[in-house]
Amino acid sequence: MNGNHRSGKLVELIGAETVKEAFHKKVGQRRWGVALVTLGISLLGLWLMIDIVGARGWTPLEVLEVGLFAILFANLAFGFTQAFLGFLVLAEGHEPLKITNTLDESTPLASTAIVMPVYNEDAETVFGNVQALYQSLQQRHELDLYDFYILSDSTDPAKAVEEELAWSDICRQTNGFGKIHYRRRKLPVNRKSGNIADFCRRWGYRHRYMVVLDADSLMTGAAVSTLVRLMETNSRAGIIQTMPRLVKTETLFGRIQQFASRVYSPIFAAGLNFWQQGAGNYWGHNAIIRVSPFLASCALPGLPGNEPLGGRILSHDFVEAALMGNAGWEVWFAYDLEGSYEGLPPNLTEYVKRDRRWCQGNLQHFWFLLAQNVRAISRIHLIQGILAYASAPLLVLFVLFGGLQAGIDRLQQPGGTLATASAGVLLLMTLILLFGPKVLSLLHLFARPKEIALFGGPVRVLLSALLETLFSILTAPVLVWFHTRFVLRNIGGQTVSWHTQTRDGGAAPRWTEIVREYWPLPIAGVGIGVLAWWISPVYLAWLSPMLIGLLLAIPVAKLSARTDLFRRLFLTPEEIQPPQELSARFKLQLRDGDQFVHAVLDPFYNAIHVALQRSRDGGSLAVDGYVASLATRLFKEGPESLSSQEKRALLADGETLASLHHLIWKTPSQMMNPAWAMALAQYRSSFRRARPKPKASEETFRKSQPAVT
Amino acid sequence: MAISAEYLALLRIGIGSSPEWKEAWERINDYLDALKTPDTVDRELILLSSFERAIARKRRQPSIPATELAFEEAQKTLDFALGHLIDEGVSEDRRSVEQRVRLYLTENVDGNFLGRPDEMSEDVRHALREVRLQAAPNLQVASITARPLEFSSPGKWLISLAEKLSPFGANRIVGWLFGLAILGLLVFASLYRL
Repeated sequence: MNGNHRSGKLVELIGAETVKEAFHKKVGQRRWGVALVTLGISLLGLWLMIDIVGARGWTPLEVLEVGLFAILFANLAFGFTQAFLGFLVLAEGHEPLKITNTLDESTPLASTAIVMPVYNEDAETVFGNVQALYQSLQQRHELDLYDFYILSDSTDPAKAVEEELAWSDICRQTNGFGKIHYRRRKLPVNRKSGNIADFCRRWGYRHRYMVVLDADSLMTGAAVSTLVRLMETNSRAGIIQTMPRLVKTETLFGRIQQFASRVYSPIFAAGLNFWQQGAGNYWGHNAIIRVSPFLASCALPGLPGNEPLGGRILSHDFVEAALMGNAGWEVWFAYDLEGSYEGLPPNLTEYVKRDRRWCQGNLQHFWFLLAQNVRAISRIHLIQGILAYASAPLLVLFVLFGGLQAGIDRLQQPGGTLATASAGVLLLMTLILLFGPKVLSLLHLFARPKEIALFGGPVRVLLSALLETLFSILTAPVLVWFHTRFVLRNIGGQTVSWHTQTRDGGAAPRWTEIVREYWPLPIAGVGIGVLAWWISPVYLAWLSPMLIGLLLAIPVAKLSARTDLFRRLFLTPEEIQPPQELSARFKLQLRDGDQFVHAVLDPFYNAIHVALQRSRDGGSLAVDGYVASLATRLFKEGPESLSSQEKRALLADGETLASLHHLIWKTPSQMMNPAWAMALAQYRSSFRRARPKPKASEETFRKSQPAVT
Repeated sequence: MAISAEYLALLRIGIGSSPEWKEAWERINDYLDALKTPDTVDRELILLSSFERAIARKRRQPSIPATELAFEEAQKTLDFALGHLIDEGVSEDRRSVEQRVRLYLTENVDGNFLGRPDEMSEDVRHALREVRLQAAPNLQVASITARPLEFSSPGKWLISLAEKLSPFGANRIVGWLFGLAILGLLVFASLYRL
């Protein structure tokens, strides 16, 4: 934070001395502290490792093994340091340098857009979250300065119709016409970042701020208004990121992640804020952005080369934070702001699928490490993002090099053992770095009896933490496997394909789908296990946590999708006492079946969709002819005759769709394609009821006759 | 006056006695159901008046299916019933759409108002005439232009190196062979402590 622009509020909080110097000195001390502690732990670990490996002289494999160890151990040490400092901050109970200290409830609000980019999402979830926030702001009497934008890139025609209906339904229910806006791009150019950029181009000037939400994000009105007030108070803040809590999960996997995030995140978040201060990061959602500097500085550059590592930027958030920082704006982390929530993939398979996308996006960021004019702290964020995935192949190489060297030693010195005093110390140290943050988090929680009751009490918390640790040990090798695969494929110039179909929230993948994706893992586990046994039983024991994870990958993936296991464990406050916004349900009155078909048949669906399309006046004859040919084919050959792309083209032409609606309703069943006749019959049967007896008198009937011929 | 059973019965009998008209009757009833038209006299009037005209047309145009005639006449009746809510500037092919939009918007307001213009206040009528289903506000165009990435000298060197090495990664088999060859060299060097 630049001292010249610091808010008066924060000035009071950090003392009367020269504000700029004091702040920079304090932040500098904190950063040096984090760096030195991390370095100290890393050097100690490295010294122990050198003592173990180099006892009998050095080989190229051992040099590389130690090199990889240094990277991986330093990464682990950095995480531990943050968690430890965060624990101290929370234990002390007061952090003078945090953005939420500057909140002044009397600060007037400013025009803010709530933007939610969506892509073939479940409309009920998306619009339910919008409705919850809308009503929350309405109850606070703060709705006037907010506008909601649902920015759709949906390519599935049925989803597009569903969204339109949901939009009109929510507007009708809340009287939100003119406040809740919906736009669907015809082409999803540059995906989510392109969608946001498109919003900025079209309506950026209308609002001072935008709050970016994901399709599964939810924020309370209080949280959003607090963000706006913090922005107003801190005139150099370009982005304020919140710490979203995971909520609304039903599966074992989801609830374990939800519990872990709720218990362990606070100390990491406090530690992160401790050193990064106004040079924080942006995670792409549940954050507020100052629009004008975003327009001026955060347009995403193209990357050299082609996808997957070049071309268009996939993961925009870290880059936008870096660009905002480069332009002199601050990026803050409001880690203690309540009322920010998000969902997460329901099972291990869906989680890994999401990681596939994120992996590619994060690896692209290495270009920014080679670029000029990127701040050092932004580079640290980018490296952390890259290492979130690249550490997996590094770990695989570390194990591989260690295994090969152990094999060589076995050949050269049969009966040799790996165990030394240093190995024991290093193992203990590694366990502390890995599990220490969990213990610290539990200590933090146990120091707050009232809070622990909201997790189901101390016994359940302990049991949940133990099972969560076991689950994370079992799933870690699975994640390492897939991350390694993703990274190698991306480096090899390939995007990674996934065989199973995308599913909605709670639907569990079938055994066949799981086996198709996970079958190499147990085979690899058996192979590595046999080799490890051949090297030495001690080595096998050393690798056993990894091997058990690989061997059990298939059943663990299946179990992770169950919704009936451990329902009395992994409880969180949001599950026991959900806030009003999380309890709100938006029920969309959708008809069963293909929504594209309903857009043709249902008079209301059809009218809403057609009314939202631009009139085709002035369109080219070629396009008109193409669309007419599609309509003819659709009518003659039935709904399945058009591809998804052709359906989209037809949906874009309102007039043709309106004509098609009339044509089908007025055509006798025996004269239309059997598929349409069946679709119409099904549609009609959904609301058919007993026909009324005539009630009209002859007089009223005659009076009512319209002057039509 | 009591209901003229004769007239209505004749119409009913005429519709019920012919499979073609029976299908048309069912179809139009279903369409009105889909429009959430309540079981009132108004609905009955729409049906009967539409079918009376459709039957008359059928005598003149016997080749046109009854369902088509009935639907077209029902549409005309709806135009008549709802026309006062649609701005005159709305093009002909959009009128039906605009009517349905208004029925949708007032769906939960005491059924809907089909055929009851007298019961509607002038304010509501005016509001319904003015209403436009607009999903997004008017544009206020801004520009957002990206600055190209500028690379440092080591960065440029690394990029050129990566370009030279890219053929090894582009082909999966070559990539694996390249990787295995390096691994083999490492093992060999470690085995003999080179």
